Amino acid sequence: MEFFLHILISGIATGAIYSLIAVGYSITFTTMRVLNFALGMWVMIGGMLTLTLNVMLGFNLLITLPVLVAVMAILGVVGERVSIYPFFRAGSDVWIMSTLAVGFLFINSAQLIWGHNPLPVPSFFGDGIIMFGPFAIFPQQILVIATAFVIFSLLYLFYYRTLLGKAFRAIAYSSEVTSLMGINTRMICILSYVMTSVLAGVAGFIIVPITFAEPQMGTVLGLKAFAVAIVAGLSAPRGILFCGLAYGALEALASGYFYTGVRDILGFSLMILVLILRPEGLFGKPTGERA
Amino acid sequence: MKKYTRRMAILATAAVMTLGTTGGSKAAETIRIGLSAALTGPAAFVGVSIRRGAEMAVDAINAKGGISGKKIELIVRDDEHNPVKTVANHRELVEREKVIAMLGTTNSAAMLATAPIINDELKVPIVAPATDATKITENQAWEQKRDNYVFRLGMFGRGQANFLANTLVQKFGYKKLGLLTWTAGWGVTGRGELNRRLNELGMPAVADETYDTADTDMTPQILKLRSAGAEAIINYGLARENAFVTRTKQKLRDTTPYASAWGIAAPAFWKAAGASGEGVLTSTTISIDGPQSAERKSVLDEYLSRYGEKIDGPPFFFAAYDVVNLLAQVIGKVGEDPSAIRAGLENVPEFKGLIRHFKRPVFTRQRHDALTEADMILGRWTNGQLLEVQYDGSGPYVVLDSNEKKYIDTKTLALK
Repeated sequence: MEFFLHILISGIATGAIYSLIAVGYSITFTTMRVLNFALGMWVMIGGMLTLTLNVMLGFNLLITLPVLVAVMAILGVVGERVSIYPFFRAGSDVWIMSTLAVGFLFINSAQLIWGHNPLPVPSFFGDGIIMFGPFAIFPQQILVIATAFVIFSLLYLFYYRTLLGKAFRAIAYSSEVTSLMGINTRMICILSYVMTSVLAGVAGFIIVPITFAEPQMGTVLGLKAFAVAIVAGLSAPRGILFCGLAYGALEALASGYFYTGVRDILGFSLMILVLILRPEGLFGKPTGERA
Repeated sequence: MKKYTRRMAILATAAVMTLGTTGGSKAAETIRIGLSAALTGPAAFVGVSIRRGAEMAVDAINAKGGISGKKIELIVRDDEHNPVKTVANHRELVEREKVIAMLGTTNSAAMLATAPIINDELKVPIVAPATDATKITENQAWEQKRDNYVFRLGMFGRGQANFLANTLVQKFGYKKLGLLTWTAGWGVTGRGELNRRLNELGMPAVADETYDTADTDMTPQILKLRSAGAEAIINYGLARENAFVTRTKQKLRDTTPYASAWGIAAPAFWKAAGASGEGVLTSTTISIDGPQSAERKSVLDEYLSRYGEKIDGPPFFFAAYDVVNLLAQVIGKVGEDPSAIRAGLENVPEFKGLIRHFKRPVFTRQRHDALTEADMILGRWTNGQLLEVQYDGSGPYVVLDSNEKKYIDTKTLALK
């Protein structure tokens, strides 16, 4: 039982990283039916900015975070303009490639600017280890879990308690009708992309003490987060939170009770199974709303 | 417009012809040695270390008048760790730049790809300072007992796995070893070699765990190794994931001795792992921390004043430095014909390098690996320094900068 709980805790801590990244996929999908396929690379930029601001320039975290949010927002506006808007407007699916192109641009730029070695960013609460009886967890891992819950709660409040959030959902329902209601749908599309970018940056900020800052830190995490978003359903934020944690736990348990080598086979087979049985995801509502 | 284009064409032809002739005449004036390596991208720290080692050796030789009055010229190409580019670069270096010897690149796959081309077509000796796949030197020409132009002064996979397993079993006295290897790249071949050696020793691995590139928390693997009763863990992988392992061990308060192949024999590991890396062992070819010989010290000092930083990849830098000096020694003796240099390399009775003072033939016709298992060393990460582990009647020990001798507790790898 102790073995099980040890592994479960470490798995949930890793799963929170997936949830935190995966939510980004859902926001632009909700508004534009568009995905930023390079989200993991945006997370990496967040991590690298944290390295620069916090470690290299010595700013404290309360200055680092707002500066990072501002930079990510600007990158988000530019990214939407160059990699989504021209193709979205033309009704083309080229954004699949163009968002990835931006991601590779990020990786190569990061290698030129920051080099290739993994560089440590100190944990926000020091190097201590928190013990629950015999179970150990890093304070930063708790912070990741807590941040995931806070961000998902805020997102829920945003979607269901604010006018803007309702506009987001309205566009998901029908962009034309929303436009006729006097809502600037173009602005909302940009805003949703910027939200995605900022959330990715914040995810990078929170996870970089765990993953180390390096140009490839987000690539595989972004891919696994994508699997999580698909399994949960791209339009179901709460499902994404749950599925991220569950996926992390499942991975760790597969490593613990079977073998690391079979872990991804299990994970991705599950994804395919879900897609066959429920194309809209475990928590997604059946499509058709947006006729 | 038409006249203009024609003038351009004439100019271009003239330019090409001039380039061609200078290339030719230069080859006669200097002794040209070629290097293709990853100077950009993730493996750049290896390539740059090799280039700097070769450059410093070339400059030192030229400052003393070169080889029989001729200066050495190093011709460098970037292959971005891409085997296709390595092969193209080697061809260009030999056919156009007329190099008479080369240093090997940063990528085992590239060395495996280039070996048959060098042996069958280019026929210019190449000495690898970094890549560890066993088959690079034990290639097709070697198997068929033909002239083999590929040599290595560095780690080789089979030797490294043997060395790690032998050392931990024979010098540290462990009987139950567990493996923890990377599922990609050289982690896969390393895992195979380690399992082979442990089976030969009659003590198969008690646990054989792996991890992926994205694994940041190794709790399941460490717990499984622990419950299998592993007295020590051997890793084959890169610095980053090794740091995740040591951090997870720290979190779990796990003191199982931990050793790794030379993926962590570079400062990048300590930078990432910090204090959790204390006590970790690694196989390597050289340790530049702790007391050093006068020759090494002067090169280390010159490196610092020249580049303003510590060496990123010490084993690669010093191997390249030694390779250039070895080539210079051979060329001084046998002249500039590439096949004579190849034969000459197989007949160097003694060579005083910075990695090793070879008091036996560096290479033989059969053995194209300069370093054998007996030349590999074990390093212990000690407060940011990689110190060479030595042995006496009381067990393994390291010598600190202060010349203080500290024994290693084989139960935890802590210093006594």
